[in-house]
Amino acid sequence: MVSPAGGTPQSVINGPDCSVVVITYNDATRLPRAVRSVLGQSLRNVEAIIVDDASTDDTARMARRLQREDRRVRYLRREVNSGGCGAPRNDGVAAARAPYVMFLDSDDELTRHACKSMLLEAERTGADFVTGQISRFYDRSGKTRRYYPELFTRRRTVEGIAREPEMFLDSFSTNKLYRAEMLRRLPFREDLHYEDHVFTTELYCAARRFAVVPWVVYLWHRAAEESESRLSISLNIGEMDNVRQRIRAARLSDGILRENGLGHLVTARQRRFVRQDLRVYLNPLPSRGPVWAEEFASLVRPYLAELEPAVFEPVDPVVRVCCHFILDGPADELVVAARSLSEPKAAPRFAVREGGRTYWGTAQARELDITSLRMAELPYSATRLRHEAAFDTDGTRITLTVRTYDPFGVLAATPDWSAFMEFKNHRVRLAPRAQDDGSRLSEVTVDLSRLRQGRLGHDSHYDPKISIVRADGRITSDRLLVDPAAEPVTIAFPWHRVTVRAQGQAAFLRVRWRREGLLRWVAPLLGRARDSLVRRLSGPDLKLRVYKTLIRVVPPREDLVLFESDVGAGCTGSPRYIYEELRRRRVPFDMVWSVAANRRNFPSDAGLVRRMSWRYLWTMARAGYWVDSHGLPLAYPKPTGTRYLQTWHGQGLKTVGFDAPDLRADFAEPRARWRAAVARWDALVSPSAEFERIFLPSNGYEGPVLRYGSPRCDVLVHGDEDAVRRAKDRLEIPRGLRVLLYAPTYRDRAKSSGMSVRADLDMMAEALAGSWVVILRTHPVERYRVPQRLRHFVRPAGSYPEVNHLILASDALLTDYSSLMCDYAVTGRPMLFLIDDWDEYRRVERGAHHDLPAIAPGPCLTTTEELIHALRDLDAVAASFAARYTEFHRLWCSDERGHATAKVVDAFFGPAPRPLPDPVENGASAGDRRGAKEREPARSRGSAGDRDPLPPGWRR
Amino acid sequence: MSGRPRSVLFACMDADTLGGIQRVTHTVAQGLAERGYDVHVLGLHRAETPFRYVRRPGYRQHVIHRTPMGGLSWLGTRRERRRLGRLLRELGPGFAVLTSPGVVSRLKDLLPERLLPIGQYHGSYEHARGSWHLGSVRGHYGDLEQAVFLSEDDARLFSEHALLPNTWAIPNPLPAWPERTATLTGHRVLGVGRLEGVKRFDRLISAFAEARRTVNTVNTGNTRHTGGGGTDGDGDWELRLIGEGTELERLRAHARACGVADRVVFRGAVPAADMGREYANGSVLGLSSEHEGLPLVLGEAASHGVPSVAFDVSGGVRSLVVDGETGLLAPPADVPALAAALARLTASERERRRLGTAARAHAEAFRPERVLDRWETLFDQVTR
Repeated sequence: MVSPAGGTPQSVINGPDCSVVVITYNDATRLPRAVRSVLGQSLRNVEAIIVDDASTDDTARMARRLQREDRRVRYLRREVNSGGCGAPRNDGVAAARAPYVMFLDSDDELTRHACKSMLLEAERTGADFVTGQISRFYDRSGKTRRYYPELFTRRRTVEGIAREPEMFLDSFSTNKLYRAEMLRRLPFREDLHYEDHVFTTELYCAARRFAVVPWVVYLWHRAAEESESRLSISLNIGEMDNVRQRIRAARLSDGILRENGLGHLVTARQRRFVRQDLRVYLNPLPSRGPVWAEEFASLVRPYLAELEPAVFEPVDPVVRVCCHFILDGPADELVVAARSLSEPKAAPRFAVREGGRTYWGTAQARELDITSLRMAELPYSATRLRHEAAFDTDGTRITLTVRTYDPFGVLAATPDWSAFMEFKNHRVRLAPRAQDDGSRLSEVTVDLSRLRQGRLGHDSHYDPKISIVRADGRITSDRLLVDPAAEPVTIAFPWHRVTVRAQGQAAFLRVRWRREGLLRWVAPLLGRARDSLVRRLSGPDLKLRVYKTLIRVVPPREDLVLFESDVGAGCTGSPRYIYEELRRRRVPFDMVWSVAANRRNFPSDAGLVRRMSWRYLWTMARAGYWVDSHGLPLAYPKPTGTRYLQTWHGQGLKTVGFDAPDLRADFAEPRARWRAAVARWDALVSPSAEFERIFLPSNGYEGPVLRYGSPRCDVLVHGDEDAVRRAKDRLEIPRGLRVLLYAPTYRDRAKSSGMSVRADLDMMAEALAGSWVVILRTHPVERYRVPQRLRHFVRPAGSYPEVNHLILASDALLTDYSSLMCDYAVTGRPMLFLIDDWDEYRRVERGAHHDLPAIAPGPCLTTTEELIHALRDLDAVAASFAARYTEFHRLWCSDERGHATAKVVDAFFGPAPRPLPDPVENGASAGDRRGAKEREPARSRGSAGDRDPLPPGWRR
Repeated sequence: MSGRPRSVLFACMDADTLGGIQRVTHTVAQGLAERGYDVHVLGLHRAETPFRYVRRPGYRQHVIHRTPMGGLSWLGTRRERRRLGRLLRELGPGFAVLTSPGVVSRLKDLLPERLLPIGQYHGSYEHARGSWHLGSVRGHYGDLEQAVFLSEDDARLFSEHALLPNTWAIPNPLPAWPERTATLTGHRVLGVGRLEGVKRFDRLISAFAEARRTVNTVNTGNTRHTGGGGTDGDGDWELRLIGEGTELERLRAHARACGVADRVVFRGAVPAADMGREYANGSVLGLSSEHEGLPLVLGEAASHGVPSVAFDVSGGVRSLVVDGETGLLAPPADVPALAAALARLTASERERRRLGTAARAHAEAFRPERVLDRWETLFDQVTR
């Protein structure tokens, strides 16, 4: 091979920069891939040393061939097989000519920059070794998964293992680049299997400094994700020896730490054993059966018994339960517990609740305490049952026998429920019978060939579930566990082949459909043809061109209104109330809502168009009115004659428009696009003078302004008891608890990251769960999943259709910089602000027009401790902010008097046909309570406001 | 040396537009050509009004499409491949420097094996993460031989957040190195750049107004106590903004609102050849941008011995200004801090001299020869 850039490889002249020791044994087919990953390194000056542990296959010939292809390959052959990895690696190190060495197994690969990137890092930092990210590469699916990525997130140098003992989790020898002279002082043990573990412990003891790099340096090829969970008997026996070796390596490692005066790190290393080594066997344990489990437990027991209790403290409660059953038996309980370690992390069969604590199984022991999982306190729809099933087939019919355990007494506490088995979109009623041991047994038979499959059949998989439906229609579902040792069953009928099997290490039931026969070929072809046609016929450029032609040709219809709120996310915000007002007035308009993909909760009597579909463009082109809260597709010009009402969706301290980060960057195009989009507006709804002061110049808007308050805030002035009841019911808020609405806004530089949820919800749950419940309203661009252990305290409501109802259902608001604070002020209820990143947010992240700490109508807090403190004493805290609250209300809400919708509709669509007398102010309005001065409604400016005198307000 | 790769291809979206990336590219191309490399500068598109950077180029220039940047038709893509193929066949072993994420994604799969691809990114990490650039850099630059950023800090940030194993840093070169330095006795703060939103000269004007107030107050006090003389705050300070752009009127209005309308001079655009005189008459340079990659105005001012005050918005800024040693940095968008830094320098000629002298020494690293040395080190690194 010629050096890629021409010329002679430097290794021939000066010796290589890095030696890669590739050990192999009877792996001639994969060896070339490994060696080529070395020869293809961006560091050209490498040598690949193949160390053959006396293979009996074609390895020698293959190695010679690789040598002929490239002079950088060397080949060493051991005469006698060593039975491990230690001896060949030592041979390779002895033969290495470079100052730096890496190891590679013949079934794996190095990433292209592995050698050079770590070599440079070693030279730059002077580290004794450099360690990088390992990624598992699943050969079958082609997917990769990084190994403990949190260890490698930061690129850094570590001054000795004592600084970061969690690095014990990285005990591979292969993802590292070493100084050769260091390796020669630390030979691998040749007499045990987990020589890596012992070696890395010695390495960590010896290294004064090591460097960590965040990128992937090593691809660990895994034949298949599940092969390890289905071992044959002979392998099982081999595996037991494996366990023995791993414990031996752990003991040796503990000893090495003590000998090196690092006894204080033994606990940290043993924690690694429980967190990682033990899990290697516990995860697949369900498929091994109780005999194996018994033997495994007896092997591990003596070592576990030696460990300090402190080792178990930070460990997952279910792992702790497993350790308890390893130590005290019985083995079949160990198997039951091990099945809850992996997805779907099933509930226990039985649980004991005593003194506010929850215990696994039927006994009450400290090691069995699983309270922190908070499984027993879940709201009904999230509650957990354990279904263990066996399946059997007869022709195309499958029969499932399901045993249902209800460890937390949910079914007992629910007076009226019915159970169903759910196959994707097919539901079968179950008739569970109570058993002596407290479980329930049901049996169900389904003819798979009778299930609906769609016109072109079905080619995917799903996990059947059991749903328990309560009298009020609320549902709780769980997947089914099946016997992990059960063989997959395949059922064939015309056009389809269906496989029913145990999936994953916890073995849950999965049904996989495959098209058969002609359908197998035709369906994907048709699908691809359709996709390509759709792509060609509805590309964004084509759509825009057609639209532009349309608006020149077709005239807008005076009686067609297009509504859009939050880019199609829902029927909410000001457009919703304007829509409802027009309905109430029976204005003979055709009203159509824009709906983003997968959104629901639109009024059943409204016309719907999917956003950006052809029908949507047609509606845009034909509508005489556009009503929107964010911005209809920015690049789309408005037809002549169409009137566009921009209601906007909030006001507050954030920078907007040209001052917001999207438009502040050094690209001119987005700014020009926004300028053109704003020029389409015919009227802008303004909630306050302060809004106008900031918003108009920030967006370069100079058209008419309708300042009557916000249509979306009318309901906050009047209240809506029904909606509150519905919201509380839907979110399963128990009676008697105070409700905190937590609505953090997004961070411009970390959208979809979950980073906006900055309160420590675990700490809050610990302190407040008895008296408060949190409704978590994340911003639409944010992604955050509430973990199960918090569901008893936190109700996720990011996609709840109407935020106003959440506001009304809450007793207080916690936010950071969300514009929601200005709407919330209408209610007069207490607000708290968690603003630990205020400086960052104000200066760099987003930018602000107001100094929040100076104007906030409630306490500005920076830690969860302060927040808990403030919530415990909320009434007094709120009272101390009364004056600030009044001032805040005056600034933002003095125009919110509950009639904005009617006035905006009058001003934009023309006055109502049947004027009613101006209603007397109902004294409960928050505006009055906060002492806002009664005054004439603000005059709107410009043409839309020229209807003088203003029509009177309208009441629902 | 016959075996060493000597071809260098610089590929830009548009190589003849007036802009920062292009200026740097032509400067480095000319420098390498003078060092004996076979250099080619390739523009995928032609600028609407082409600009000539080097009077007698020692390199060859190529343009693929005669149209300005924009989408390509199917035929256009075919034509691009054909023309590129013809050009690339001519080149011997060497390096292809792809100067932006757009160029990387368009060319990286078309290069022959003997041209080793090097990707450049001319923005800061902070700017990339606010746009599609970060995703593109993460997705493509790791496959290249080397990913080159403007500063060590940027290289580190990309290695952590885009998981790039192949980062490297080379600064942009200064266009010239002056013989003489500024006297620093005049009372003039300079602001240099396009008058566009991203440069946020409004913040510099606010900070200038604030600093002037502080210094004047202090000086009035001093005068009373010491009987005048000695301080160099005498004579009012002026802020001189050099550049043109769409924000001019807004900035004028802002200066009026800040009460410094008579102290802010809008000089308009100044030809590169005359910039030396402007720097020589300046005493402090202020930089208040929202985003910057490697703002060479800081380096140019430093080469004239003029110290800078700047917002710490990127690794590039930090590589040009060592806070407290060669200039003063303020946290991004922290106008009061920028004002305090300005006040400190306008109040003390000694401090300006101390920082200015150190700044010139520090800016040596950005001299064209030094930057070209770093390119050659990079080439050695790539073929190591």
